[in-house]
Amino acid sequence: MATYQEFIQQNEDRDGVRFSWNVWPSSRLEATRMVVPLSCLFTPMKERPDLPPVQYEPVLCSRPTCKAVLNPLCQVDYRAKLWACNFCFQRNPFPPAYAGISEGNQPAELMPQFSTIEYIVQRGPQTPLIFLYVVDICLEEEDLQALKESLQMSLSLLPPNALVGLITFGRMVQVHELSCEGISKSYVFRGTKDLSAKQIQEMLGLTKPAAPIQQGRPAQPQDHSFSSRFLQPVHKIDMNLTDLLSELQRDPWPVPQGKRPLRSTGIALSIAVGLLEGTLPNTGARVMLFTGGPPTQGPGMVVGDELKTPIRSWHDIEKDNAKHLKKATKYYEALASRSAVNGHCIDIYACALDQTGLLEMKCCSNLTGGHIVMGDSFNTSLFKQTFQRVFSKDYNGEFRMAFGGELEVKTSRELKISGAIGPCVSLNAKGPCVSETELGLGGTSQWKICGINQFTTLGMYFEVVNQHNAPVPQGSRGAIQFITQYQHSSTQKRIRVTTVARNWADAQSQIQHIEAAFDQEAAAVLMARLGVFRAESEEGPDVLRWLDRQLIRLCQKFGQFHKDDPNSFRLSESFSLYPQFMFHLRRSPFLQVFNNSPDESSYYRHHFVRQDLTQSLIMIQPILYSYSFYGPPEPVLLDSSSILPDRILLMDTFFQLVIYHGETIAQWRKAGYQEMTEYENFKQLLQAPLDDAQEILQTRFPMPRYVDTEHGGSQARFLLSKVNPSQTHNNLYAWGQETGAPILTDDVSLQVFMDHLKKLAVSSAS
Amino acid sequence: MVPRNPCIRVWFPKILSFARQKNGRSSERTDYGITCSKWRPRKWKLSCDLAGSTMAESYVKPGNQEKGWNDPPQFSYGLQTQAQGVQKRNFLNKRVPPPQLDGSQVSLPSGAPLPAKPLSPTLPLAPPPSTVVLPARRLSAVDCTALSASTHTECEATIEDVMGLLDWALTACRTTVKRQVCDEVSKRLTLFQEMWISGKLSSPVKKRMYYLAEELKKQNWDSADETHRSLIVDYVNEVSQWMVGVKRLIAETRNLPTEVLNAEVEGPSPKEDTTQNTQ
Repeated sequence: MATYQEFIQQNEDRDGVRFSWNVWPSSRLEATRMVVPLSCLFTPMKERPDLPPVQYEPVLCSRPTCKAVLNPLCQVDYRAKLWACNFCFQRNPFPPAYAGISEGNQPAELMPQFSTIEYIVQRGPQTPLIFLYVVDICLEEEDLQALKESLQMSLSLLPPNALVGLITFGRMVQVHELSCEGISKSYVFRGTKDLSAKQIQEMLGLTKPAAPIQQGRPAQPQDHSFSSRFLQPVHKIDMNLTDLLSELQRDPWPVPQGKRPLRSTGIALSIAVGLLEGTLPNTGARVMLFTGGPPTQGPGMVVGDELKTPIRSWHDIEKDNAKHLKKATKYYEALASRSAVNGHCIDIYACALDQTGLLEMKCCSNLTGGHIVMGDSFNTSLFKQTFQRVFSKDYNGEFRMAFGGELEVKTSRELKISGAIGPCVSLNAKGPCVSETELGLGGTSQWKICGINQFTTLGMYFEVVNQHNAPVPQGSRGAIQFITQYQHSSTQKRIRVTTVARNWADAQSQIQHIEAAFDQEAAAVLMARLGVFRAESEEGPDVLRWLDRQLIRLCQKFGQFHKDDPNSFRLSESFSLYPQFMFHLRRSPFLQVFNNSPDESSYYRHHFVRQDLTQSLIMIQPILYSYSFYGPPEPVLLDSSSILPDRILLMDTFFQLVIYHGETIAQWRKAGYQEMTEYENFKQLLQAPLDDAQEILQTRFPMPRYVDTEHGGSQARFLLSKVNPSQTHNNLYAWGQETGAPILTDDVSLQVFMDHLKKLAVSSAS
Repeated sequence: MVPRNPCIRVWFPKILSFARQKNGRSSERTDYGITCSKWRPRKWKLSCDLAGSTMAESYVKPGNQEKGWNDPPQFSYGLQTQAQGVQKRNFLNKRVPPPQLDGSQVSLPSGAPLPAKPLSPTLPLAPPPSTVVLPARRLSAVDCTALSASTHTECEATIEDVMGLLDWALTACRTTVKRQVCDEVSKRLTLFQEMWISGKLSSPVKKRMYYLAEELKKQNWDSADETHRSLIVDYVNEVSQWMVGVKRLIAETRNLPTEVLNAEVEGPSPKEDTTQNTQ
């Protein structure tokens, strides 16, 4: 088993790919019986410190419908200087530059260790990165001050040649002209009137005839000044922009008692999108929206300005009582699509105690690969540090952000692509490898991801189309190629090509091979993504029922049992964690909306469908580590039985880090043993989880909330609500001995869940 | 006696204490040994390098609990960049399969004392075991907050030292850079000077500004730039008004032709590096 795990890890490290199945069932029929679809999690920008990019163009297959990239799986005839495409079997001559090719002299892309390779290509003009700040000024003084400081700080973190722009909004929207001349000018727009892209560009003087001074468009590649009056290089206007930011005042319009401030978020975003669309389409750009409350006027308004009408809740939405929901969502979706077409991504930094309308606005980030960060105030370390980390750099000192990604997928003949789930939009590219069955965003073999970082991960779903009666030859392999074109943060155009292959197996005679090659972690995340994707359009209970049905079917297929004998049920090691993942997924905020606002649900789902496998799995089933005097820290069951008096627990739910001190530990701490030299070891024990938590806090994006609590503490609820309630007030006394902590809940425990699962799986009726 | 590491400066108590632990640790074993020996030293070596080169501070401040619910602690720029450089290890990501599937009973976490010796909360509190020898762990950054604050010695550099160096750079810039830009920079340097004189700048800011100015003089552009970045990230409320002038000065001086810079060398020579020797 260890070998498969090593294989899986190796492949993830090298190619950023995790498949649900690592040996593929060779016919359509058998594949559907596997329950979990043939699918993978793909991280296009997976960090590869050991992968130097090559400085030439990739070699493409000459068949117009194929155009796959030359890769290590291709057969090469060194004497005739020909290569055969492994996807369409077309024989292609090598380009002249490859004349010297021989067995002993191979280009990198033919070497097996370069199954992932990155090309730097010379294509089009290199445009600087663009950062357009869209800043809400209806904030409290303290918040606005903190935000201004963070923005000023960010000017030091941006690449010096990046273009930067500033739009502020409250009741009115102001587009600030940035110049070095010391006189600040701005264009003021009413926040209630929707304007078309053309109108915005005309009013800002961005159309050619109206503004002859306006310089540079990508259409004129020789002209290297891409800036306009509203977007200027940081190194030129940093001083003026710093002053401009310091001088920003709160929205001067009076806010009467009982009213919300009028906030024209919709128009502000529309102007930002229109400005970039008009000046710099198809270049890497980030619109960064900082907002401290819901949009309250104009198109895209989420709630009225009367404080007595609260912002929509899940209850209102279920009752169809959310007046602005549909209209606002439609408005922001249209903006998001326009932005995606232009390759610009939109970040939302929403800091307020109440909801800010993320439910309606989420598509802006979800369709463009932008970030959503939700905090309580701009004056918190959660916001400040998360914002800093947007500009974090990799081992090479390069920014960890890429723009305008276009992912294309090619498959061998036995496979087709059903769809993708992640922060992307479809490019509607039909072709021979597109399946008719859609899973997620389907009907295409290409997707656009406007903003990508090293964690951005798509779930890709495939369909085996090989017919049952046309067996795949013994020992042959199926292949998939991912071609990602993007703008690197250094503004270079790059293409990363990943080509992977897996063995086919006959599901009837070799089922044990397929079973052993099951990646339960990947499968859990991929199924969860399908569930979350469904939850966006279907009712919660339907999604849970669908998930349950899939789990039961999987257990029926791969469990070992005697019919109608639940006690005989066993799952092999490669499936052992899967039911537990599903149990926790059912309870997770991705599928349960209870106790979460619509904004919170949107926020959690946003992060769930974009993170890599490790992070996603933490979100599904939080990690629990136990620290004690009895040995090194060890992983323990996410179960109430793990809550023991002489333990310290560290729980990571991705969004929260909780350190929980057991009862005895807490008493020792209170008694001050850690201060005494003879109990130095106790002090160290207290310190160990803090150190580990710190490691996580230092790198996680977004910054998680941090809870340090103890037995009986009110904050202990974060732990208690996540652990499996194996002991509750209902069954506590049946346990006889006191181990763990009872949870006061009527929720079903994992034990009960498993008993039902076994019963249903072995039942001859189903 | 703590062995002196030349790249360690005095206000890095954490790193010093780590060095102490590291040296004393070799004979100790044990349970925490895996975590300690495998990864901590590697990480901390990195922090030494980084801290030595940019004077970045390593500290952790508590978050703003008043404004943010369970606000996480705030890490200094030095700690953050150091964490970014390291590839994320997959640690603490193991899970245990539930016992139900292999038919066994719910297992207790290993190593637990069996209920025969319960640490019952109703009994008078027994002290924690004190015989178990655990290897010394590094002092955490959280602890260091207080420590580093207390060991911040007053900055010995004077405003004249710092301004002298900055003015030297500005004078050099005046030869080629637009006058308006130089005036803007000068305005901000004046503001910086005023804040220093009126005591509005904290000791670490002063120290790091002196270091920055020296690096500028030595034409270590990257180091000066990195120091400016660490200052604005860690002390934005103190420096946001004028730091951009320093930032611009670094950028403009860096672009100057070497002749101009060398011609200006007769400017005030940097004072002896006092920061190296303070203990």
